[in-house]
Amino acid sequence: MEDLGIQVLKSVVSGLLMGLVFALVALGLTVIFGVMDIVNFAHGEFLMIGMYTTLLTSPLLGIDPVLTLPLAGLVGAALGVLSYYGLIRFLLRGPMIAQLFGTFGLMLFLRNLALLTMGSEPRILHKGWLVGKSFIVGPGVVLESTKLAAAVLSIVSFALVWWLINRTKVGRALTATSLDAEGARYMGISTQKMNALAWAVGGASVAIAGGLLVNFWPVEPGVGLLFTMIAFATVALGGFGSVRGAFVAGVLIGLIVNIPPIWDAMLRMIDAAGLADLQIHSFKYTMVYAIYFLIMVIKPQGLFGWKQ
Amino acid sequence: MRKVAIFAAIAVLAVCLMPAMAPAAPKEIKIGVIYPLTGPAAAAGRELRAGAELAAKIANSAMDGIDMTMAKNAGIKSLGGAKLKLIFKDHQGNPQLGADLAKKLILDEKVVGILGCYYSSVTKTVSAVCERYGVPMINGTSTSPTLTKRGFKWFWRTTPHDKWFTKDLFELLVGLTKGKVKGVKAVPKAEIQKLAAACEKTEWGSNVSIEIKNFAKEYGFDLVANILYAAKSPDLSSEVQSMIAAKPGAMLFASYTSDALLMIKTLKSMKAKPKLIWGQDAGFDKPEFIALGDDIDGILTRSVFLPSVVKIKPLAGQVNKLYVKKMGHDLDGASARAFTGLQAWVYVLEKAGSTKPKAIQAAANTISIPGKQLVVPWFGIKFATKGDEIGQNVLGSGLIGQYQKKGDKMTLQVVYPFDMATDDMIFPFKGY
Repeated sequence: MEDLGIQVLKSVVSGLLMGLVFALVALGLTVIFGVMDIVNFAHGEFLMIGMYTTLLTSPLLGIDPVLTLPLAGLVGAALGVLSYYGLIRFLLRGPMIAQLFGTFGLMLFLRNLALLTMGSEPRILHKGWLVGKSFIVGPGVVLESTKLAAAVLSIVSFALVWWLINRTKVGRALTATSLDAEGARYMGISTQKMNALAWAVGGASVAIAGGLLVNFWPVEPGVGLLFTMIAFATVALGGFGSVRGAFVAGVLIGLIVNIPPIWDAMLRMIDAAGLADLQIHSFKYTMVYAIYFLIMVIKPQGLFGWKQ
Repeated sequence: MRKVAIFAAIAVLAVCLMPAMAPAAPKEIKIGVIYPLTGPAAAAGRELRAGAELAAKIANSAMDGIDMTMAKNAGIKSLGGAKLKLIFKDHQGNPQLGADLAKKLILDEKVVGILGCYYSSVTKTVSAVCERYGVPMINGTSTSPTLTKRGFKWFWRTTPHDKWFTKDLFELLVGLTKGKVKGVKAVPKAEIQKLAAACEKTEWGSNVSIEIKNFAKEYGFDLVANILYAAKSPDLSSEVQSMIAAKPGAMLFASYTSDALLMIKTLKSMKAKPKLIWGQDAGFDKPEFIALGDDIDGILTRSVFLPSVVKIKPLAGQVNKLYVKKMGHDLDGASARAFTGLQAWVYVLEKAGSTKPKAIQAAANTISIPGKQLVVPWFGIKFATKGDEIGQNVLGSGLIGQYQKKGDKMTLQVVYPFDMATDDMIFPFKGY
């Protein structure tokens, strides 16, 4: 029984950390969707570029990987603005399907560009303040430094974006653009600039996340997909365009994928070795998508969605 | 005038007969090679490709200083010196894509045969395509036991498979308890009685998982956790938590490259302290994995080729030298087996003396390549033609190596078979 209690504690801590990481990755996606109703398929590639930015600039500048995060943010923001003015602006004139294929094309382009310039093999950071460090708190509860840092950054970023949208004039302009772009234009809001701002914020937040994640995760040109599959589920589960929703959904997903160790501890407690063959670990993401499916049936706009 | 007429008649006849008289020997023989050149196993793909390319280079030109029949001739002698042309395709770890590529190679490129595909899951679909079209396929690097259990007529596998490799592991574990391992006193069995395994969940890993389960039972060990996980997963902490909570003496893995890196990083961050860590080759045998440095000191990996093999096999040293020149590092399990896979193709074609599928099939079914022709430490290559493993090379064998840091350099030392050990084994693993 004690084992089970400890395992629940461990899983909750691990789930919260990973959930905040998922939320951080999903933040940019939900901001862009909230403002423009565009699903950015290249979101994972922005993450990958953030990872490479830190991986390459840290040894080049001779500074710790963590200190390169502002640079990763800048690269991400620049990439976002460039994508908007160079591609998305034109796609907006077309039908919804053109926008989908457009960002999908951007994804393929960026991924293959990375393949061409960086090579296909996974690369990792070997040195850094966060690399290979973790703290044990309590009975076997581990806080991995990279995930902890990403979790803190996640909370700060969400707070900042929430503040930006709900408490500032720019935020009101963003909300106005997302509610009714035409109306916003009549009110003298430069919707072009608002859209570009959304892409800058979205790009920067995910690239910074990437710069932080590379302290723990290996990076290769296809790494974006690992995280964006979850990010899409996060955004959809939380409600498209809802910042609060992405936060809650990210944490929820983190907790769900940490259920299997609790299940295993339960099996050990009741000594039901036969049930171990169920291989619950290999279904942890299935559980995520199953819950996503349920929410979609019960509440199609997502947990906190307000757009129809 | 008459003479001229006869001469003209002969000349015309000669011209007419020319194509019939000249043997239908092609100038080049196209072999389709399907490997994961991008995606999570791209690092392996690079080695595989280089291994196959090196074998083709040796086969296509006469080379001195390599004690191998195919190095003596330029091209395939029985086919008039025809050169091998490898056409590489990238399956990205995707079985469906692999099958499509195989179709393209067969129908558009008209390849004579196929080599590949590393991922057992892709080999499974590609070999099914080859079987349907009656095109021979030689597999050098996929180790799922089920591949040769299907009774295919057009599929041959040179590498030993996971059942053998997993048995090697259990022989090593038993050897540890009996004091047979070089440099380690007999370990009380209780120390390594409990085992925990985590295998990636495609064709390859899930079969390793089954073999581990079966052998654990047979050899009397307790498998306290047996986890399947998705190699393309952003997080492995729940898997590692479950393994640590089961308090195993040994942790066993079947992982591809990216997930092997993430697995070691997660084990380290969660401060895992097993007495022994063993990996089923693949991700545990790649340059990126070795770059983890101190974190892998003492980890075991099964392999079919370790650089220290050159100490016991001069031919391996000769080929390894060429490989180092090409790639800047030693042959590994992937490249040495890709080399051997293509080498098998060369010997089969040489024996067949034809590019007709039927002739190749007959040659493959009767070929016998002695062990001294190979870079890998096997007894040779001879394919089973009856029984429940049709097409399987029955003369293969495996090795278990251990990463040991010597000075600044990470080396891989043989610890099993016991009589081939190149250094004392580090036991127990120092833990994180």
